[in-house]
Amino acid sequence: MSHPMIELCGLHRFFGSTRAVDDVSFQVHAGQVFGYIGPNGAGKTTSMRILATLDQPTAGDAFVDGFSVVEDPDRVRRRLGFMPDYFGTYANVDVAEYLDFYARAYRLRGPARRQAVERVMGFTGLDVLADKPINGLSKGMKQRLCLGRALVHDPPVMVLDEPAAGLDPRARIELREMIRDLAKQGKTILISSHILTELAEMCDVVGIIERGKLIAVGTVDEIQGRGRRPHNVVEVAVLDGLDAVGNWLGRRAGVSAIRLDGQTVRFLLEGNAEAEADLLRAMIESGFRVSAFGARRQTLEDVFMQVTQGLVQ
Amino acid sequence: MSKVAEPTAAQPPPARRRVAHWWATAESLLEQAGERLNPILVKEARQALKSRLFVMTFGLLLICAWGGTIVGLAIIGPEAAFGFHGSTMFAVYFVILAFALLVIVPFGAFRSLAVEQEDRTYELLSITALGPAQIVRGKLTIALLQMLIYLSAISPCLGFTYLLRGIDFLTILYVLGWLVLASLGLSAIGLLLGTLTEQRQLQVILSVLTIVGLLFAFGFAIGLAMVVLFELPLPFSEPYFWTSSGALVSVYLSYMVLVYLAAVSRITFASQNRSTPLRVVMVVQHMLLTGWLAVLAIVEQIGAPRFYATCMILLVLHWYAMGSVMLGESPELSLRARRRLPQSFLGRVFLTWFNPGPATGYVFALCGALGGVAMTGIAAAAASSLGIGARRGPGPMPADRALGVLVLGVLFLCYAAFYLGVGLLLIRLLRRWARIDVLGAALIQVVLVLLGCGLPPVIQAMSLPWRSQGWTVLQVTNFFWTLSDFLDVGGFPPRTGELLVLLPSMALVVFALNLRAIRREIEYVRVAKPARVADEDAALAPPPPPPPRPSPWD
Repeated sequence: MSHPMIELCGLHRFFGSTRAVDDVSFQVHAGQVFGYIGPNGAGKTTSMRILATLDQPTAGDAFVDGFSVVEDPDRVRRRLGFMPDYFGTYANVDVAEYLDFYARAYRLRGPARRQAVERVMGFTGLDVLADKPINGLSKGMKQRLCLGRALVHDPPVMVLDEPAAGLDPRARIELREMIRDLAKQGKTILISSHILTELAEMCDVVGIIERGKLIAVGTVDEIQGRGRRPHNVVEVAVLDGLDAVGNWLGRRAGVSAIRLDGQTVRFLLEGNAEAEADLLRAMIESGFRVSAFGARRQTLEDVFMQVTQGLVQ
Repeated sequence: MSKVAEPTAAQPPPARRRVAHWWATAESLLEQAGERLNPILVKEARQALKSRLFVMTFGLLLICAWGGTIVGLAIIGPEAAFGFHGSTMFAVYFVILAFALLVIVPFGAFRSLAVEQEDRTYELLSITALGPAQIVRGKLTIALLQMLIYLSAISPCLGFTYLLRGIDFLTILYVLGWLVLASLGLSAIGLLLGTLTEQRQLQVILSVLTIVGLLFAFGFAIGLAMVVLFELPLPFSEPYFWTSSGALVSVYLSYMVLVYLAAVSRITFASQNRSTPLRVVMVVQHMLLTGWLAVLAIVEQIGAPRFYATCMILLVLHWYAMGSVMLGESPELSLRARRRLPQSFLGRVFLTWFNPGPATGYVFALCGALGGVAMTGIAAAAASSLGIGARRGPGPMPADRALGVLVLGVLFLCYAAFYLGVGLLLIRLLRRWARIDVLGAALIQVVLVLLGCGLPPVIQAMSLPWRSQGWTVLQVTNFFWTLSDFLDVGGFPPRTGELLVLLPSMALVVFALNLRAIRREIEYVRVAKPARVADEDAALAPPPPPPPRPSPWD
């Protein structure tokens, strides 16, 4: 297969003067898990809705398995499972009936439909709640049901909008495991979430969007690097003279993003372990009383904070 | 050692086995049938069975029917045994049933789509493999199912009215048939209204308007039924009655199909060609109307000019209404719609007007109206020359009256061309700043007609020199006043020549101003399918193998 499973090409979506999505382009290849992150109102949901054929772009186009969401939404829908950030459940319907309805709606007939419903209920752990009315389900169970609905026709592409929002830690971990399983099954997944540590664990590629613009895309390492040498986060605790340490660090090459916090100074250091050792020696030689020195690789959260400016529209 | 016979499982008797076999067969058949049912019908039937609202409505209907029976019989008293009170009791049951069928069922259909949009379940439904037609059909089928349930609940009472005498079986069937048709039509309209807006405030306004409209329809149906039951019994023995009923039913059904397709097109995705099926139905409706006109004229020997003039006005009005909606279509033809554009010369000449677009819609509506005027004009001329009119009306139509019908049609057509053309110009202008859809386009036509017909009389009434005069040239945009003389006076009013110059000129000027838009829309040409789409189509339906080459020796 030569084409990417998900492709956004110069996607724009304007609401009046608000540029909800402003020239966003990226690709997700078969089997990849793409983490779509950004502050609230950045344009994640809008671009996901366009991908799910629920909205029309003002300009540009998006493709799922090579089919345009504008021109061939019917073909896109057959290949895509969309889990929005709302439940969309019916009154007076139980779990099995709900999934059976969506299986019918995806044209699954006879044994294929029954098997699909059983498979989905088994995967999401809803088989024990098959006869329970949907309105009586907890939020976590409803999320599972929504994931089941998006999976019932076994689509190769999944678009999940904030699937873990509002879930307790246990439900969140269980949901994360399910998404990992889906990734193992070879599904292409586009997922947005605010819980960046979780995304970092399961995503192959990450896209960061702010004010409708895609400001970074790639693996966490690629985004971290972005045309320069790798940076590590260094935290140094000193017994006294923190301001002096800050000033001293500010004059050194390869040090950036210095933040003073209590008795600790946190900054980004360009280079590898050798650079860290050199810095520590230089600090001690300069007379600073270092009580702790630690370095770690940048997390997705660090990258996110570094790349975005907290701008909203 | 003697062998002890092993105990065998007790076999059921053959009759019971046969029953079990039939039962299993019936179950499997029912299951197969269930697989073919519309998923929405299955889901909503399941929901309704658990819904308190449905149980309450159904229970209330039964209670009202029983209550009506008890009160009615108490009032009639012993006369029930020998009098003719079937009509009275039928009227009571009709009111109860009509409320359920004309208010509850259509409002339920309206709300079912509206609620799906409010709860955002519609979005999830729309991205399944269910097509928009299946969604609307599912909702309409559930309305039909409700109707059948209500009808079956009240059917013993309806049978009882027949036993009471005073009403014949055919009248019961005829009235109920129209009630079901009216309910279906109103449900289709309810579904169309449910698709109009997703905004909550507008939904509330629409809900109120729908309830008011349905109550009005309920009142109207009761009035009509009372007239039929107590004032004007239906003339079942007259062939004319059945011809007119057939005409009415077929035309009504055609409008129902149009409303259904309009609802489908409202929820179809934007790049799909949503207009062509509607335009095909419009043409079918045109053919139905003209066909019934011919049948009535020939079979019933109608020669009255007013009949032809009315038919002509109805046809032009039909096309004017359709045109005013088509003006709201998008002028941009999607790449998907362009994949199926006609390519041949004849196809491009005759089928281009079926393509979506406001300008093609304008020309399409004018062509339809022109066809209507021409056909009724020819029918009037034929009626006049063949001397039709012996059976109904005063006698054969004079030739000048036939010409009068044609002139009226031409002038009315000019008005349609003028108003639609001005509407198209306005919409093109307004689209620079705002989004105008079919509803907006229809609203613009209403405003234009109100201005064109309402403003001139006001200006004339305020002007001292013109106040005392009758029709002046200022009223040229006021088609009510201008054309009413043609219907009242008959023949040619004194200003006919003046109007025959002025109105076609106005229509032509407006048409010419729209030529650029028309040209733009007819210049669209077919585009090839994207390679990915072509690949999938080929994979799903591989082309048939080429036929074997005939052997030159055979």
